Amino acid sequence: MNPWLARVVTMEPFFIRYRNLLVLLVMLVAQIVGLAVQVRRTSAGAVSLDPQDGPGVRLIRLWANALVTPSERLIHSSKLGAGNLWQGYIDLRHVRDQNQDLQKTIDRLRLEQAALLEDARQGQRLQGLMAFQEKYIYKTVAAQAIGSSGTDQSRVFYLDKGKDAGLERDMAVITPDGIVGKVRDVFPHSAQVLAINDQSSGAGVILETTRVRGILRGNAAGQPQIVGILADQRIQPGEKVLTAGGDEIFPRGLPVGVVEKVMRDPERDSFIDVIVKPAAHLDRLDEVLVITATEPRFSLEQQKDLDTSEALKGAEVAAEAAEKKKASEIMAERLPGLKDPNAAAAPAATPDNPTPVVPTVNPMPHPPPPLHADRYSPGSATQVTPETTSPQIPSATVPQGSTRTVPHASTQDHGAGSRETGNRETGARETGARQTGGPGTSGSGTSKLGAPARSTANPLTPRPASKPKPKTDTAPQRNP
Amino acid sequence: MSVLMANTRRDVEVHRYPILIYALVPLAALVLQAWLPRVLGRYMWFDLPLVITVYFALGRRSPVQGMLLGGALGLFQDALTHNAIGIFGIAKTIAGFIAASAGIRIDVENHTIRLILNFLLSLLCSAIYLFIYRILLDMSLEWNWWTELFKAVGNSIVALILFPQLDRTQIQD
Repeated sequence: MNPWLARVVTMEPFFIRYRNLLVLLVMLVAQIVGLAVQVRRTSAGAVSLDPQDGPGVRLIRLWANALVTPSERLIHSSKLGAGNLWQGYIDLRHVRDQNQDLQKTIDRLRLEQAALLEDARQGQRLQGLMAFQEKYIYKTVAAQAIGSSGTDQSRVFYLDKGKDAGLERDMAVITPDGIVGKVRDVFPHSAQVLAINDQSSGAGVILETTRVRGILRGNAAGQPQIVGILADQRIQPGEKVLTAGGDEIFPRGLPVGVVEKVMRDPERDSFIDVIVKPAAHLDRLDEVLVITATEPRFSLEQQKDLDTSEALKGAEVAAEAAEKKKASEIMAERLPGLKDPNAAAAPAATPDNPTPVVPTVNPMPHPPPPLHADRYSPGSATQVTPETTSPQIPSATVPQGSTRTVPHASTQDHGAGSRETGNRETGARETGARQTGGPGTSGSGTSKLGAPARSTANPLTPRPASKPKPKTDTAPQRNP
Repeated sequence: MSVLMANTRRDVEVHRYPILIYALVPLAALVLQAWLPRVLGRYMWFDLPLVITVYFALGRRSPVQGMLLGGALGLFQDALTHNAIGIFGIAKTIAGFIAASAGIRIDVENHTIRLILNFLLSLLCSAIYLFIYRILLDMSLEWNWWTELFKAVGNSIVALILFPQLDRTQIQD
């Protein structure tokens, strides 16, 4: 017999005998390999789940979602809970013996009443939700919670709106009472939301009174808690907790809940964990709002108020400038030596224009005109061609005490000024990011997922006018 | 002890069910497991897919079928969470294998045995879940064994109610 065939023949009983164990082994190995593919080691060394599912994993989730969501939607839309069905069945069975016709009528009325009551309650909830949505400054989409993950280890739930309603990953989910979670995954007609009491969630929060910042996440019991904050005697139960706005998910100032309990961190001595009672009813969610855009939208009245406020502020600035001008004129009258002989006389106040027009030229006195004007003389800089950059300035041609003018000074100055302005703005952005960024202590301006930073500044707050940068192209000099 | 062992013909026979039962009962378990937390809130102390896995594994007395059903239900359950797919899959695969292996040797019609088996397999599944999460994946997870104990008791009670109802759907010879 062929030795290979003999070996196969002798191995056949082995496979038959240990078929069950082999199948178990194959299934376990396949799933462990699948797990290993999904989990990755970050640069910090910690093992974590890839926040973005791979195509295969996403396909499985899509299948599961497609399998379960229609049934859940059906159950939800029929509004026949398992409990109501059971009670209705028992009631029907008992009363049928007494008076079937009467009971049918009563049951029908009861059902109608219950349906009406439920409709009325839902109407009230929706009315409150719509009122909040209208008042709320950001654009939101109302959605219905239709299902959950079914396990304590994953506190996620599903919404009946998906990509078709404009939902995207990492959008904040709120109720008028407080924040609920963030959109974790979006399907064509549904979306998965990670609640704030899940262990893997994270939201930047701030305590209203003590202004202590921290990160909110869930614990094993499904309670949200603020972790990683230093022990502070001032933090007491009952203090309100708000969103800090630095996590790039939740806008600043939304209610999160109230402090329920302050506990010592079991792993770190000087730190405490603050258990938070969530403002939103995370166990019984029905209607929620998804913030789809963080650009503020103002009503006509609000826009008018903003315009009025801007106009008032402009008038105040003009009045302040006029006041300063008056003071400088008085000073110039008392000290005639400070007057610029070359400056044009300011037009006097006329009945039409009670406020004299203030010339916008620099009050700094001009240097005396040169005896022999050449291309290096002041005022001829604009005529210099690009070929004459970096000329050697003879010291003899520069009058003593006059302004040393550098060719292309204005251009260079503009460049430097714009660069500096740019840096200043960048610095302001960075400062803003630091101020608003990072839940608590991280101070990072970017989200943990590496998403591009969205502006977290209060949209109602107008931007401060940038101060004009003093010109530095001329050296300070005395009036001859 | 002889009462507990499967030594009669009736005890070792393989239960057969209509194809609709095979399709609808696991699907209903998945849907209810996902929907009932909205009604029961934090008191969702049972795992219907596990109960169904144990029931069919015990009834069919085939470890391969038990493993396949448990693995499929576990994977779908994983897919409904935001965790890695395979954690529940592995746990329920093992549960299906053990339940079917036990079904060959013991009398699965006995209610006490069903109760104990569900209780033990629930705890085993929880332990496997914890092992995979903390040891195999090296990820942090807070854990409360009391909740798992309540869940095991809940599974046993659900099995006590559900198994006789499902027994009625068997195809009788």
